[in-house]
Amino acid sequence: MRRLVAATAALAVVVPLAAYAQSGGGEGASEMTHRITILVLQLAVVIIAARFVGHLFKHGLKQAAVLGELAAGILIGPYALGSIPLPILNGPLFPLELGPIPVRPELYGFAVVASIVLLFVAGLETDLPTFLRFSIKGSTIGLGGVIVSFALGDAAAVFLLPNVDSFMHPEALFLGTVSTATSVGITARILEERHKLSSPEGVTILAAAVIDDVLGIILLAVVVGVSKVHKLGGGVEWGHIGVIAAKAFGFWIVSTVLGIIFAPKLARGLRKFKAFEVTASVAFGIALFLAGLSEEAGLAMIIGAYVTGLSLSQTELANELQEYLQPLYDFFVPIFFCVMGMMANLAEMGQVLFFGLVFTALAILAKLIGCGLPALATGFNIRGALRIGAGMLPRGEVTLIVAGIGLASGAIGHDMFGVAVMTLLVASVIAPPALIRAFEGGAGLRVAAAPERREPELKDIVLNFSSPRIAEFIRGQFIRSFRKEEFFVHQLELHQPFYQIWKEEILITLDQKESSIVLQTEAQYEQFVRLLVLEEILELKDFLETIEGEESPVSLSKELFGKEKLGGEQVGNESAEGDGIRKEESSEEPDDVR
Amino acid sequence: MNLRKVLSKSVISCDLPGTRKNEVIEALMDILMTTGKVRDREAAMRSILDREQKMSTGIQNGVAIPHGKTDVVDDLVACFGIRKEGIDFDALDGEKSRIFIMTLSPVNRSGPHVQFLAEISQLLTDAEKREKLLGAGTPEEVLDILTT
Repeated sequence: MRRLVAATAALAVVVPLAAYAQSGGGEGASEMTHRITILVLQLAVVIIAARFVGHLFKHGLKQAAVLGELAAGILIGPYALGSIPLPILNGPLFPLELGPIPVRPELYGFAVVASIVLLFVAGLETDLPTFLRFSIKGSTIGLGGVIVSFALGDAAAVFLLPNVDSFMHPEALFLGTVSTATSVGITARILEERHKLSSPEGVTILAAAVIDDVLGIILLAVVVGVSKVHKLGGGVEWGHIGVIAAKAFGFWIVSTVLGIIFAPKLARGLRKFKAFEVTASVAFGIALFLAGLSEEAGLAMIIGAYVTGLSLSQTELANELQEYLQPLYDFFVPIFFCVMGMMANLAEMGQVLFFGLVFTALAILAKLIGCGLPALATGFNIRGALRIGAGMLPRGEVTLIVAGIGLASGAIGHDMFGVAVMTLLVASVIAPPALIRAFEGGAGLRVAAAPERREPELKDIVLNFSSPRIAEFIRGQFIRSFRKEEFFVHQLELHQPFYQIWKEEILITLDQKESSIVLQTEAQYEQFVRLLVLEEILELKDFLETIEGEESPVSLSKELFGKEKLGGEQVGNESAEGDGIRKEESSEEPDDVR
Repeated sequence: MNLRKVLSKSVISCDLPGTRKNEVIEALMDILMTTGKVRDREAAMRSILDREQKMSTGIQNGVAIPHGKTDVVDDLVACFGIRKEGIDFDALDGEKSRIFIMTLSPVNRSGPHVQFLAEISQLLTDAEKREKLLGAGTPEEVLDILTT
């Protein structure tokens, strides 16, 4: 049904377009058809290249897939292979566009929508209660990281770039902002693998990342405002900047507070649709609407998207929305990173290589100092401070979005965009080994601070089965059982048998490794998990005994493929029965795959 | 989970009769029947005994959690009983069982059933709490100990 709707919608767009072109809609129409054809071809190459190189980075080089997607963009973009003319197109596939954005506006439009999806989901994933619980430490550390990163980034531009003469120069402001935004996705994954996500350092990093995101976005709002004034020739006096900052902060705080107040009502209203696809689409529509409004209000689009996500993050819709938006996210995010990669001009990088290296080194140093010093002041020892600093190193999508907005507004050039990409690549490649090294050794808290913040004791429950197939089947049963107990089950990555299972304060992870299933939870919930597993295994035993009591396989196969049914007209009837069996098998699947 | 939602004074006994496993289970079932929420005693007993047959629900520290799934209830029902002298319930740790929590839950309905059992048995990992329960004289006292 969904396919039918999608096909009808596609026809509704394509058919009039073709008809308009054929009916002699003029050169405009044929030009439009040509542009859309190029867009479709570009998207095809972008999607395949991004996924392919991303996969290569992830599995071959053991790096984050997004770095591969970014590299794919650099490789196929208008500054590299994309500029090679193709006879079939009478020109290159990715022609270099004049103006600040080197790719076609249509393709750039996809990247902008992707950035809205990214920030909407980032807002939805924001764990405000955790942040509030650790808000003092988290805020101090996040704030330290943002201030030092912004100051060093801005200062690097003033002292090293000849055309930048003041700390308020848009280029300096954008470079300062580019340096601030941490992306803790990589950190979270490494800490999860090493069971350190619930450690005092892990929790503090995640809380600090929340304030980091929020401050980064407010900073971006201010910087966009100041650059617009600068561009119009207006003076950038302190008073004026104060007004812009107050306006940006005001918009942010008012919309967030209103969002958090009204989101539960909105969630209840959306629930009335009963069909979750309608709820999810309306929620995403609201994110797009607020993104547009915030751009119109003189801020950046991502701010509206982030605020919408943040507001809905505390409602019961958050988890379902995240799950529902996952395919959209998986589709758009590689496009975003790939298109961002296309905007980096490696040839121009030669001229700013020295600046790029200094800027990157400062960006790394800034997080180590900016987050490390407040960590030292709030109960961590040097080891703990280094861990937190290393955890805050990776830069990600917000860095690129800020740089992209700077590029589109003309505040920074392609060379500085390249510097932002370089910072992201280097910081993200350095961070994982640095983090793994940092987390070796003893406790990260000072002795006096340690007793009040003991790490929760985690228990592993390991179950070994005779084959991966049996483990896979039992995993599906366990997941069904947790759902029946009203737990929310979330598969962390598609095609990976790794799940997060939670309800209220109980958090369990379930990981299938070949023929073993490992369940991990805090010691106080261990008994519940053991009991649930035991009950499920007893039920399965019962089930298997029932199957054994069924007719023997020989008589079953006779019934299915009996002589009289194999020949003549009987075959048609039999195939209908066969279909029934297949359907029953596939109906078992979703529990396991979801 | 709010234990008071499931357990009330009327389903708590501080002096369960019976000296054998089956007798204690019968006594617990008698309590559950007083709620009026179990439609068929025989079917309910069958579900409890079936589960006991697969593996004893006498877990550890003198606590047993006989439970079953059956269509003769519409929602989770539970009762609580104490048999101070202790009886042989084939417990996994070989100890005599003194504290019993029996639950019945519907077969194909979602709900925090195992979680209820786990939470209440988790409470009983506290030795001090167990001692207090064994010394309790009235259902009110038991409820207070369980919910504080």
